Amino acid sequence: MFRYLVRRLIWAFVLFIAVTIVTYVIFYAIPADPARLACGQRATAECIKRASHYLGTDRPLYVQYGKFFGRLMPVAGIVEGNPHLKTPSLGRSFTNRLSVNYVVLNAAPVTASLVFGGAIFWMMIALPVGILSALRPRSLLDRIAMVFVLVGISAHPVWIGLLFAYFFGFKAGIFPITGYCDFVNPSGDCGGPVQWAYHLILPWTTFAILFAALYVRMIRANVMETLGEDYVRTARAKGAPEWLVLRSHVLRNALLPVVTMLGMDIGIALGGAIFTESVYGLPGLGKTAIQAIENFDLPVTQGVVVFATLCIITFNLLVDLLYAWIDPRIRLT
Amino acid sequence: MSRKLWLSTVTVAIALLAVFAAGAAAKSAKVGATGGTLNVDTSTDVDYTDPALDYLSTGWEIEYSTCLKLMNYPDANGAKGSQLIPEAAAGFPKVSSGGKVYDFTVNAGFTKFSNGQAVTAANFKAAFDRDADPKMQSPAVPFFSDIKGSDKSPVSGVKVNGKHLVITLTKASPDFLARMAMPFFCAIPTNLAHDPNGVLAPPSAGPYYISDRVPNKSITIKKNPNYKGKRPHNVNQINYNVGNSLDAIYLRVQQGASDYAAQGIPPASYAEAAQKYGINKGQFWVKPQLGVSYFAFNHDRSLFKGANGTALAKAVNYAIDRPALLAQSGYLAGKRTDQVLPPGLAGFRDAALYPLKRPDISTAKKWMAKSGVKDGQTIEYYTSNRGAAPLAAQILQFNLKQIGLNVNTHLFARAVQIDKEGTRGEPFDITSEGWIADYADPYDFINVLLSGDNLHASNNNNVAYFNDPTFNKAMRSASLLAGAKRYSTYGNLDVTMMAKNPPWAARNNFNDRILVSKRVGCFTFNSTYSVDLAALCIK
Repeated sequence: MFRYLVRRLIWAFVLFIAVTIVTYVIFYAIPADPARLACGQRATAECIKRASHYLGTDRPLYVQYGKFFGRLMPVAGIVEGNPHLKTPSLGRSFTNRLSVNYVVLNAAPVTASLVFGGAIFWMMIALPVGILSALRPRSLLDRIAMVFVLVGISAHPVWIGLLFAYFFGFKAGIFPITGYCDFVNPSGDCGGPVQWAYHLILPWTTFAILFAALYVRMIRANVMETLGEDYVRTARAKGAPEWLVLRSHVLRNALLPVVTMLGMDIGIALGGAIFTESVYGLPGLGKTAIQAIENFDLPVTQGVVVFATLCIITFNLLVDLLYAWIDPRIRLT
Repeated sequence: MSRKLWLSTVTVAIALLAVFAAGAAAKSAKVGATGGTLNVDTSTDVDYTDPALDYLSTGWEIEYSTCLKLMNYPDANGAKGSQLIPEAAAGFPKVSSGGKVYDFTVNAGFTKFSNGQAVTAANFKAAFDRDADPKMQSPAVPFFSDIKGSDKSPVSGVKVNGKHLVITLTKASPDFLARMAMPFFCAIPTNLAHDPNGVLAPPSAGPYYISDRVPNKSITIKKNPNYKGKRPHNVNQINYNVGNSLDAIYLRVQQGASDYAAQGIPPASYAEAAQKYGINKGQFWVKPQLGVSYFAFNHDRSLFKGANGTALAKAVNYAIDRPALLAQSGYLAGKRTDQVLPPGLAGFRDAALYPLKRPDISTAKKWMAKSGVKDGQTIEYYTSNRGAAPLAAQILQFNLKQIGLNVNTHLFARAVQIDKEGTRGEPFDITSEGWIADYADPYDFINVLLSGDNLHASNNNNVAYFNDPTFNKAMRSASLLAGAKRYSTYGNLDVTMMAKNPPWAARNNFNDRILVSKRVGCFTFNSTYSVDLAALCIK
């Protein structure tokens, strides 16, 4: 187990370096000068020169990457022979000079609120519907569920979001059209758990629909497949009650892949649920990333990439560990 | 049994959600009903709220309400709103030494900073010193580089003598006063930190001040309790809500959840808004901005060089379909033009030079024949890949095909386009550009965008690479003039240049299309700073 963990962590480190290098290289393949943008429409050569130096973009690519990597490490002064701990830094935005740590750490809770809340929503829909559909294939419920799956997978979250905002927000006035309230820190009149959840109901629903559809289909297929297994037939033959067969033999096996998918999907979505955040004006990582890319703001883009990479790596690792714990047949070596 | 259990669970969950939503909705309705507070929605955040760093129109709109300047534009609509008046200065400055020395008498007893500090001449000097500090990396530098010693902080050419602020220039610059009305030069506390990252809520001495800013989220603006001046300051508080999509903002303003869409609404919704609320009748306002959109002809390229190039430039000016090009930007996006200077700017003289209603292909063909350009010649065209630009490219392609030119369009991200077209030697023939006035003076259009004296290897604003010695001389002369003579000279220069040797095909001037909620009254629009927040009131 320990060796497995170490090996995974080493691979995670390699992956992390590869991802950040690729982001850097892609950015520098684009012939846009952030210093020119920083100086505005009346940019002078002198201003651009100074801005380039300030931003560090006048140095070779490998030096810039080295500095970025050095800032990111929690230890400094190794070369000078004076190693000491420090806060890892993602640098400062090219566009508004804000600390990228601040930008990412402020956006991350918004995305996390959306993703974890959305995950609860989609599992609340997918589990009962998927299981009931599998238990009653070709029934009315199953057919309705399959229509929902088709619509959920086909309809774009932006379209769904706009419809929800228009009908439930604008026309009916039941929910806010857009916006986000902090769970803990109120900003003006907007804040606290109730306003937080109230502002997130439509985004959660929008975000959940696509995943719920995918999960309904997956759960239905897995349950149906497991229902036909020999050990299920054996359990029934031995006279086990149906609810026990379902709980102990069917669901326990059928939901294993769901755990894997859930972990991976949450990890990926934490990198930024771009469409839902954009439609509802949620200041999360997805929206931050879009704006940063539009503004050629490498540090913020890189900050979101670093965060997303860490989320994906962490959740994949967690899923692997959880898998071994849930299913005794699996051994990590 | 299990089905019943599931159904019960789902029913209970839905019921709980409904109760919860109803409660929260009731609370929200109460929250939205606070009087005296104006809610503003903006889709993207301002870059800075620090006057030394802010260089975006949304930020300047805010600073028009918070800044105290030596000279400022009055809170008035139309032409009156673009005439400079003294604000913290007791009157117009005494100008001496052949226009090189400006002596302002600062008399700002009517106000104090929001933190209680008094305003003196030193507070204006502090702004110059802070802008000039290399650590600040301020985009203000090009706008005061003609002040003596402006390359170092403190700026030696800005001196305080009691109530007097004496500014010495290296050369006479009659547009200097107009530049002093820019937010870069508004009064700041002398102890305001020279923080290169900008101060989020700097104290200010105008009618309002920024009390709080949470980047990418909100900006809170409050009435300055120490302001007793003449400028309006109607609402108690203005809350900026950052980050909603334009579609959502449009719905929110209609619903009354927001009072003003600071960065507009979706382009496709302007026609609907005009139909619903009428134009300039209380909720939907259409006001001209000081800006111009144009196709710049690259005069470094053989096609646009010499007399033949001039003929080709005229041919393009006759061939383009200005109404169709403008229509791509949405309803009421602007007004067609064939000149450099926008109407509303001092000096603008209207002249019928090229067809504004429809292309004049027969005249265009005559000029094509004079240009000697062969049928089937390819034009390399640079433009942006966003908004209406790709659509406009198709129209240009069609228009120029009518006179025998093939357009090869290159679409770039906007920042890439700016970089490429600003680099001398870049292989394009025509590029699509736009310009919004930094300050209300014709110099900011004609000299900045068309003077051959300003050409560099890279980062050019003169992307036409227009370098006509006769016009260069005329631009230099005009820039030294003052008063009515200055404006009439620029107006004539605009018309003469566009008629005789057009460096561009000007397309249209821009309109600001503004949607406010039904609560909003007292609407005032300033052509330089857009909506006058200080003058807005709630009905």
